[in-house]
Amino acid sequence: MKTKRINFWAFFWVVLAFLYFFLPMYGTLDFSLRMKKGVLSLLAYQKVLADPQFLASFRYSAIMGVITVIFSILLFVPTVYWIHLKMRQLRPLVEIITILPFIIPVIVYVFGLIRTFSGPPFQLTLTPFKTDILMVAGYIVLAMPYMFRAIDVGMQTIDVRTLTEAAQSLGANWAQILFNVIFPNLRTAILSGALISFALVIGELILGDFLARPALGPYMVEVGRDMAYQPAALAIMSYALTWICLGLITLFSRSNNNQRQILGR
Amino acid sequence: MPSNNSQPIPVKQFQPKSQFTNWIGILPFFVFIFVFLIFPSLNLFSGAFKDQQGNFTLANMKFLSNPYVLKSYATSLQVSIITSLVGGIFGFFVAYAIVMGNTPRWMRSILTTFSGLAANFGGVPLAFAFIATLGRTGFITAILKNICYANAAGVQVCPFNPYDNGFNLYSLTGLVLTYIYFQFPLMILTITPALEGLKKEWREASENLGASSFQYWTRVALPILLPSILGSTMLLFGSAFGAFATAQALTGGSIDLVTILIGQQIRGDVLNNPNEGYALALGMVVVMAFMIVGYTILQKRTTRWLKL
Amino acid sequence: MSYLELSNVKKSFGTTIAVDDFNLSIAQGEFVSFLGPSGCGKTTTLRMVAGFELPTSGQISLQDKNLTYLPPNKRNVGMVFQSYALFPNMTVADNIGYGLKVTGKPKKETNARIKEMLGLIHMEEQHNKFPSQLSGGQQQRVALARALAIRPQVLLLDEPLSALDAKIRLELRLEIRRIQQQLGITTIYVTHDQEEALSLSDRIVVMSKGKMEQVGTPAQIYTSPETEFVANFVGQINLLPVKVVSPTQGKVKVGEQILQAGKFGHLNGNPIRLAVRPEELNHGFIEGANNLSGKVEAISYLGSIVRIRLDVEGNPISMDVFNERKLTIPSVGDDYQVTFPVEACWII
Ligand SMILES: Nc1ncnc2c1ncn2[C@@H]1O[C@H](COP(=O)(O)OP(=O)(O)O)[C@@H](O)[C@H]1O
Ligand SMILES: [Mg+2]
Repeated sequence: MKTKRINFWAFFWVVLAFLYFFLPMYGTLDFSLRMKKGVLSLLAYQKVLADPQFLASFRYSAIMGVITVIFSILLFVPTVYWIHLKMRQLRPLVEIITILPFIIPVIVYVFGLIRTFSGPPFQLTLTPFKTDILMVAGYIVLAMPYMFRAIDVGMQTIDVRTLTEAAQSLGANWAQILFNVIFPNLRTAILSGALISFALVIGELILGDFLARPALGPYMVEVGRDMAYQPAALAIMSYALTWICLGLITLFSRSNNNQRQILGR
Repeated sequence: MPSNNSQPIPVKQFQPKSQFTNWIGILPFFVFIFVFLIFPSLNLFSGAFKDQQGNFTLANMKFLSNPYVLKSYATSLQVSIITSLVGGIFGFFVAYAIVMGNTPRWMRSILTTFSGLAANFGGVPLAFAFIATLGRTGFITAILKNICYANAAGVQVCPFNPYDNGFNLYSLTGLVLTYIYFQFPLMILTITPALEGLKKEWREASENLGASSFQYWTRVALPILLPSILGSTMLLFGSAFGAFATAQALTGGSIDLVTILIGQQIRGDVLNNPNEGYALALGMVVVMAFMIVGYTILQKRTTRWLKL
Repeated sequence: MSYLELSNVKKSFGTTIAVDDFNLSIAQGEFVSFLGPSGCGKTTTLRMVAGFELPTSGQISLQDKNLTYLPPNKRNVGMVFQSYALFPNMTVADNIGYGLKVTGKPKKETNARIKEMLGLIHMEEQHNKFPSQLSGGQQQRVALARALAIRPQVLLLDEPLSALDAKIRLELRLEIRRIQQQLGITTIYVTHDQEEALSLSDRIVVMSKGKMEQVGTPAQIYTSPETEFVANFVGQINLLPVKVVSPTQGKVKVGEQILQAGKFGHLNGNPIRLAVRPEELNHGFIEGANNLSGKVEAISYLGSIVRIRLDVEGNPISMDVFNERKLTIPSVGDDYQVTFPVEACWII
């Protein structure tokens, strides 16, 4: 009798959670298909995909995402590697630094970034190219908690020291060790970090908005102000994109340990 | 391609000889972090205590006591506390149901997967999803609107139209409902490992010693879970307190959260003294710092048995 | 007379039958062990007594009161788990006092009992420590004290020593027995370690595949195992495939060597085996006893004893001798003569 009651409440909470998850998702899907009066159609999606501004902003954000991922990897993999190999005592400090972007609200950080680098002596916001440098730096910082953690976890599962010594005894130099030994062994970890970072950059609003660059985030806000059905279509498309990124991570990490990843907003 | 360099490279040259050479390996990281994270943050501090000419002043602090600013802080805190408590409690119960409720397996795996998705699904698209669902013409609104019947006098009444009953998605209530969409999955993801760490034997030992289920929860399970619950709630609070995009896209900036105010400050819309913006931003950091200090103290207290 | 009684107890999980046809009556103050290999249903039986599992059928009663469907927190049965299961958020004293606190005993009584229990396990000094600060052996002692603090009518221990080091295990084994006798508490002890069962128990229940194989005192179990399973599981045993020479006299042969079985039932011509424990064998030849000759195959030192393995007509046979200074050990390959008394062997 007692176990039955527990089961009832468990069932109750699970059903409630299901409703909370799926009603907005379903509602959005339904809404996005009703652009044409009286029939279900993909018109809203067609409109979005046909909008040159959408394509441009998506392309811009995707490029920014790829650049961010590349620089993150180049910055964090050697750092984490070095910490694991030689500077274990620094790990607590670096760990605290890497979660700072969780503690400092994004808008506060971006405010500081813009106020610091837009004025003299840096003046990084004068040309689009310089602004983009600032954007990428900001994205790298915002994605750092995820990227660092993914690589750190990956590095813990391989025996860095033994791999390094083995490579050294075969006559490899540092670059060869990093690119031929460490990177391939960290594939899964780097990939999941990369996918999370990419998804984060694609969905990020604040940097693009306040640095006035044509990113996807500001574009979406604009669409949300002016249109009724396209935003719903965009929301479904972002669901799908997040879904794909997470799905790929699960797929790649299935063979390794299943790490749950949390992405921010 | 294996190098065809036949000369063996001496292994020794790769062993850095001093502590100094060790530091070179992590120098790029620290330089980057200093330039793009520490320096701008420090700048925020100093900017908050400067006037526009760059002289030291406490005037910006006075700006923080402006009723308009205070109200925005109150609103932000209110939203963060409500959503992290409601989302946290809700998420806790769902996680509990997933871990210990004997619910069907497929339900559990779907829920865990979707928690990952929903916790990561925030920002502008989330606002869109809620507008499409609960907005004036949204999916659920439309369904509720159409539940109508004729009353005794033969007049059609539609008692469930939310917008006739004081509901408005573009309000604080709407914001809370929307935030909870990512808050409770975040709780599920972070508390599940802790719940899984509760040993079956603890419950059995407790029962065996004559305790009721309620006594087990209040004396054993919750005290053991408390550090994790605190940590998760902290994370939830931070993610709501710092949220900007969802609120901006949902209400178009009509609800005065601190983040929205800072946004307006960056655009130069409202205030003409940028140093007041510094103070505003510093205030947020101070709130977070307070939360973290409080959290650390509580954590120390609740994990006394863990560390020793 | 019977204090705790299990009658026709059966438990199945879906299609697997974990325990079947279990009948046992335990006297007050008795120390009974359940002995058997992993998965044979020992824990399940114990958990039915504790109330964590409901029997599929059958009945459990304590002092003629039916316990079968009573919830665990109403049973007043103390349980000690293999993994200690101490509450990590409570000190040693709080752990011990937990059962008294939750049942609303007066503070004075609770504190007195905590003190008494700490004395019983000789851990007065550690009362303020948390479980994470204790060694495994100390944790298990606290768990024992916690289970005893509620003055249970029966004490249940589920492999309490198997997570501990060999040395601590021995120490704690003696302590459990001392405490049990000091309190005179009725105890069921689950183990897969025959040595533990033999040294601790008043009676042993040997189990296999959910069924009771044999119930008896340690001496009975060891010297007269009733089934091949018991003979094999408890102690070492030689099982020689033999041919019947004379069914009425119990004469059998290995190859051409004739042996006399001490105990034999009705021999019906089915293939049979002669059982004899290794320590019953001795080097030499004694007229009127059973004698075998074979070749030495291997010699292994096991500390206080030396095990000599022989090949007798193609069958392996072990002989255990004390590792005394005067012992002369044969070499591998030697021809070797062994002898054992007729009473020491039986047909299985
Ligand atoms: N909760 C359960 N659900 C299904 N099967 C179980 C459960 N508990 C035990 N069993 C099965 O019952 C049998 C006996 O288990 P157990 O009593 O734990 O054995 P022992 O303690 O002797 O090692 C095993 O085959 C085991 O797989
Ligand atoms: Mg067992």
